[in-house]
Amino acid sequence: MNDLLPQNRIDEFRAKAATIEHPRELIVDALRAVQSHYGWVPDAGVDLVAELLGVLPVEVEEIATFYDKIYRRPVGKRVIHICDSICCWAAGGEELATHLQRTLGIGFGETTADGVFTLLPTCCLGACGEAPAMMVGLTTYGSLTAAKVDTILAQLRTETGA
Amino acid sequence: MPTLTIDNLEVTVPEGTNVLEAARALDIVIPHFCYHEALGAVGACRLCAMRISDGKVSGIQMACMVKARDGMVVSTLDPEAVELRGHVIEWLMTNHPHDCPVCDEGGECQLQEMTIAGGHGNRRYTGKKRTYDNQDLGPYIAHEMNRCIACYRCVRTYRDYCGGLDFGVFGSRDRVYFGRVRDGQLESPFSGNLVDVCPTGVFTDKTFRFRSRPWDLQEAPSICPLCSLGCATVPGARFREVQRVRAGINREVNGFFICDRGRFGNGATNDPQRPRRPRVDGAQVAMETAIDTLRERVAAVIAKYGPQSVALLGSPRASLEANTLLHDWARDLGTTRLVFDAHAEQDRAARITEAHLEHQARSLNDIRHSDLVVLVGTDPLSEGPMLALAVRQAVRAGGGVVVIGPKPIDLPCRCSHLPVSADQLDDALRCLAGGSADALAAELRDALKELRDRLAAAQRPVMAGGPELLGSRGVNTLFETVEALSTAERPMGAMLLLNGPNSYGGAMLAGRGPNFDMLLDGIDEGRIHALICLETDPCRDARNPARARTALDRLELLVTLDALPTHAALNADIFLPTSTWVESDGAFVNNEGRLQAFARVMEPGLPLRATSPDSYPPREFFLETPGSEPWPAWRILARLLGRSEELSVLRREIADADPRFAPLADLAPDAPGIRLTTTPGLPHYQLDRETPG
Amino acid sequence: MSGYPQVLFKNRHPGVAAFLAEYEASGGYQGLRAALKMTPQKVREAVKAANLRGRGGAGFPTGLKWSFFPADQPGEKYLLANGDEMEPGTYKDHQLLLADPHQLVEGMAIAAYAMQIPHGYVFLRYAYEQCAQNVERAIAEAEAKGYLGPDILGAGFGFELHVHRSAGRYILGEETALINGLEGRRPNPRSKPPFPAQSGLFGKPTNVNNVETFANVPHIFTGGTEWYRSLARTAEGAGTLLVGLSGHLSRTECFELPMGISLREVIEQCGNGVRGGRAFKACLPGGASTPFLTAAQLDTPLDHVHMEQAGSRLGTAGITVFDETTCMVAATLNLARFFARESCGWCTPCRDGLQVVVWLLEEIEGGRGSFELLAMLRDQVKNISGRSFCALAEGAMGPVGSLLTRFGDELEDHIKRGRCPMR
Ligand SMILES: Cc1cc2nc3c(=O)[nH]c(=O)nc-3n(C[C@H](O)[C@H](O)[C@H](O)COP(=O)(O)O)c2cc1C
Ligand code: SF4
Ligand code: FES
Repeated sequence: MNDLLPQNRIDEFRAKAATIEHPRELIVDALRAVQSHYGWVPDAGVDLVAELLGVLPVEVEEIATFYDKIYRRPVGKRVIHICDSICCWAAGGEELATHLQRTLGIGFGETTADGVFTLLPTCCLGACGEAPAMMVGLTTYGSLTAAKVDTILAQLRTETGA
Repeated sequence: MPTLTIDNLEVTVPEGTNVLEAARALDIVIPHFCYHEALGAVGACRLCAMRISDGKVSGIQMACMVKARDGMVVSTLDPEAVELRGHVIEWLMTNHPHDCPVCDEGGECQLQEMTIAGGHGNRRYTGKKRTYDNQDLGPYIAHEMNRCIACYRCVRTYRDYCGGLDFGVFGSRDRVYFGRVRDGQLESPFSGNLVDVCPTGVFTDKTFRFRSRPWDLQEAPSICPLCSLGCATVPGARFREVQRVRAGINREVNGFFICDRGRFGNGATNDPQRPRRPRVDGAQVAMETAIDTLRERVAAVIAKYGPQSVALLGSPRASLEANTLLHDWARDLGTTRLVFDAHAEQDRAARITEAHLEHQARSLNDIRHSDLVVLVGTDPLSEGPMLALAVRQAVRAGGGVVVIGPKPIDLPCRCSHLPVSADQLDDALRCLAGGSADALAAELRDALKELRDRLAAAQRPVMAGGPELLGSRGVNTLFETVEALSTAERPMGAMLLLNGPNSYGGAMLAGRGPNFDMLLDGIDEGRIHALICLETDPCRDARNPARARTALDRLELLVTLDALPTHAALNADIFLPTSTWVESDGAFVNNEGRLQAFARVMEPGLPLRATSPDSYPPREFFLETPGSEPWPAWRILARLLGRSEELSVLRREIADADPRFAPLADLAPDAPGIRLTTTPGLPHYQLDRETPG
Repeated sequence: MSGYPQVLFKNRHPGVAAFLAEYEASGGYQGLRAALKMTPQKVREAVKAANLRGRGGAGFPTGLKWSFFPADQPGEKYLLANGDEMEPGTYKDHQLLLADPHQLVEGMAIAAYAMQIPHGYVFLRYAYEQCAQNVERAIAEAEAKGYLGPDILGAGFGFELHVHRSAGRYILGEETALINGLEGRRPNPRSKPPFPAQSGLFGKPTNVNNVETFANVPHIFTGGTEWYRSLARTAEGAGTLLVGLSGHLSRTECFELPMGISLREVIEQCGNGVRGGRAFKACLPGGASTPFLTAAQLDTPLDHVHMEQAGSRLGTAGITVFDETTCMVAATLNLARFFARESCGWCTPCRDGLQVVVWLLEEIEGGRGSFELLAMLRDQVKNISGRSFCALAEGAMGPVGSLLTRFGDELEDHIKRGRCPMR
């Protein structure tokens, strides 16, 4: 299934796994690679990673299900992680989360009907000085207000062509 | 050897013992979940809390994680420790579904016991419980994840100890999930151990599901009869059937685990096809009548053709007591035509083993602690699965495994393979021993030389083999090789996988007697007219089953004592139904010469569920339990020979008659067993010197 | 920040990172040059003499840790930089790597030399992609200049450095869980002993330090141990501290401040006081796992010793301030939820006990509390603290324990009124 990972990355992982002593150290890297290409990690992605690194599918799944930034279920084109830890909470994070849910019309763990956004809570993003904060993909947005969130959502929607 | 004080009692334990084990030595049970003697300490459940006063480590500590030290003072009753243990139980119970009434673990649930012991009888937490979906793990293991307390014993058993590859732990926090990546049958041949190690009802025996409460089972310590290793088991019976088998503990042999064959492969006792009635010429008779007829008919054959016209065939499946009585009977009759394994090659291999093993004998426990195991011409997963598991433990402890044989074999561990065809195994062994081996490829010779060096450097090397591929000649060579590679300071060990649970015992009795192929010659040539088969069917068990079948047809008298519906049983002139190993006491000698007793679990009887619906309500009433006719084979023979039918008396007689069997007199089940020594001076069996049949 | 000597942040400009040219111009890699002229043992001793203490939370003396390391043992050894930084209220490593990543590289190179370690990893959390790229660039630049590689500056010592990107979860910050994570195993903590210095990554001797800890190291060798120690305001402290401000302050930024500065000065001078002119109620002085301090303790100097005397910990020096409108029960509930969710699931007190704590706080905050439940909460703290497998659950009890001791009336108020008095 090469829609899971481009061939050059497949070759890269295979080659690297062959040269290092403990290929399992690449499990997180490989899962992240599949996710960034495919959007999330389907069962076939777990199997692919196992095969590329010469480890067992169960060893990959044990890792994949541990980390919260590896998605083992389908997600939208953009995953919004809104921080719910203490500094963001103190800065109105709960209200912002409600705003997001209302605007998107979805609850936590859900994806918008158009498949663009998935909303997930996350623990502290290391942006406590700019609370409240959220992360979309690998970009962190801080000092959020409802208005700022709306602008970001609109911008992301355009980016994804939706 | 540190001496410490636990709850005011002093105990001295070996260096490296943890406090939990040290307490156990004083019969003080420190509650625990995640700790397991075979799996080690991981400190996850936090239940084994106790207080240590004084010394380098002090305060509330986990007993499993702390090594006993000289002068340590431990209190398991310390109020803070007791309080913590109560909390651990309460925490573990927060998500528990409280489905004990419908849980198969009920009665042997550690969680239940600890909950009561921890004084947690009142549920305070009324928050949400997390729930899981279960998986279909195949026909043997049922999965009920909601009961999980996350002690991690299952993964540590399945993956770490047993080397299974298709089971793991997923998720995190209070949502850890133990199972497969996807639904499907568990692939490990040791999967059933999940049932034994799970302290609660997550993994239960599906074949036993909802059939009995454990306290309603009849249980007794037993020995698995399905290969020659002699693993300890505990069969459980009810309603006149074996309902399950769980692992017994024998630290010298199987440790704490057994293979799935031993656990789930026990249908024979319950088999509805099982012949349960004595028969003479096809007609059902009483056991006593059958025995009398047997005595008369054998006498008639002897009167007609002389004592040597009667041949007796014992078996690796039959108990030592039964085989011994068969041996005594042959002596009384005056026939030397006595064999203990229908398979001539396996028979020879067993006799060679018996003759040579003695000081080279190694137990499964020795193998677990070996630093280099060489497997020659054997496939443990098929010939003796627990050997494969023992080898894995050797590897986990840093030891090496080399497989010599035609094909790479499946083992639950890393191993290296030296490809040697079956007919070159013998040469390869000779070469390994340092002999010349011109027939072998140079490359192989080099590899063997390298292995010889590795063996020389190893501290506790063991060579294990199986007669199926090695043949008796190869077995002989194996012993020579082990001898050649041994030095006085550093002896090397051997283990042979034999044909059945009592092959070794049979070999001890066989001496220089003929083999079964010779008996077949005797039948074909008209010298033998009667054959008595003790718990064996030559038509299945002989080296050449077809030949055996034709030969059996020529007999004037075929007698079979057995519990299985075999050809020899169904076609016998006289058939005497025997009880199975769960229905009788007895002893086996395992492949390392270890004499072990098994105890009767139940009386023979037709399983209740095997009775057809129209047999209820019964129209006629009997005193006898239906299907209870089978007797232990040794009892049939004792009656026949006019010997005592009291097993203890019989055992003492056997022990007195042959000093090699002296330990039989006081043999107890549920013990590690006793390795028999061959008394010096008694004739050793030697290859190629059987008395002709 | 005017007035406070800037060491780690001297090349910090909003929005742009300093790379090699600027770093070298500001004295970068002079520390490495100086260290390479010393014996490894002398390097370790200098770090000890500088009284550098770990910035990852536990505050263990760095030189002492290095002196336990089997530097002379031949073969593979590993040096790991802990950049997991997922404890709420902590974002200083983030700021550091956004501003001036070469300090980490140089510090690690010196540490590697001091402990004779050939391989290193910088472990970075998922959210710090920009930091990862900065560090990668810094590594490439350093390799090109011979600051990293098989023969560093011709001194006959080799050290290679890689970046590992994680995929979430706070527990990865615990050093043995981090090691498991790097190995591609489930990141549960390992039992100690054996300590990583004996058996760490791939079973080899391994030293783990926090990103900021490493970043301090070069400056000890450029400025000298005396100068370094004198940066602190108290005798107990040494060097500067990256202090991340958050919560109800007028200004929530990360500052480099002398160790030993008082909490009050930080809050008033750097944070410009509590926002909206409200009154200060409490703060977490060093991240989510440190016990709350109240207004009565505002004069405590920010160093390990004084913070402990005040009943809390310096932790990661991430200060989260709560004003008078904050319900401390609700705040603690938020913290407890964080820890419960981030539990790795290995040991019972954390995996299941923290859920009970969350539930108790929910009941009390939701107006369904009782004195029985309050007693039960007290029992949880007693039985979880010090009883878990690693320090995560222990850390979780930091704020809960101080809620009970310092805000007991507020808890009782919830129970008596049957609702949250702040709502
Ligand atoms: C649950 C938990 C999370 C931790 N998270 C971090 C972290 O994100 N960064 C860090 O440097 N240390 C963290 N630590 C501390 C580390 O285990 C370790 O003590 C530290 O990295 C050592 O570096 P230092 O001596 O330089 O502080 C954490 C500890 C625990 C128990
Ligand atoms: S305290 Fe226990 S469950 Fe929690 S993170 Fe540490 S090891 Fe895991
Ligand atoms: S048995 Fe000791 S912690 Fe589980």
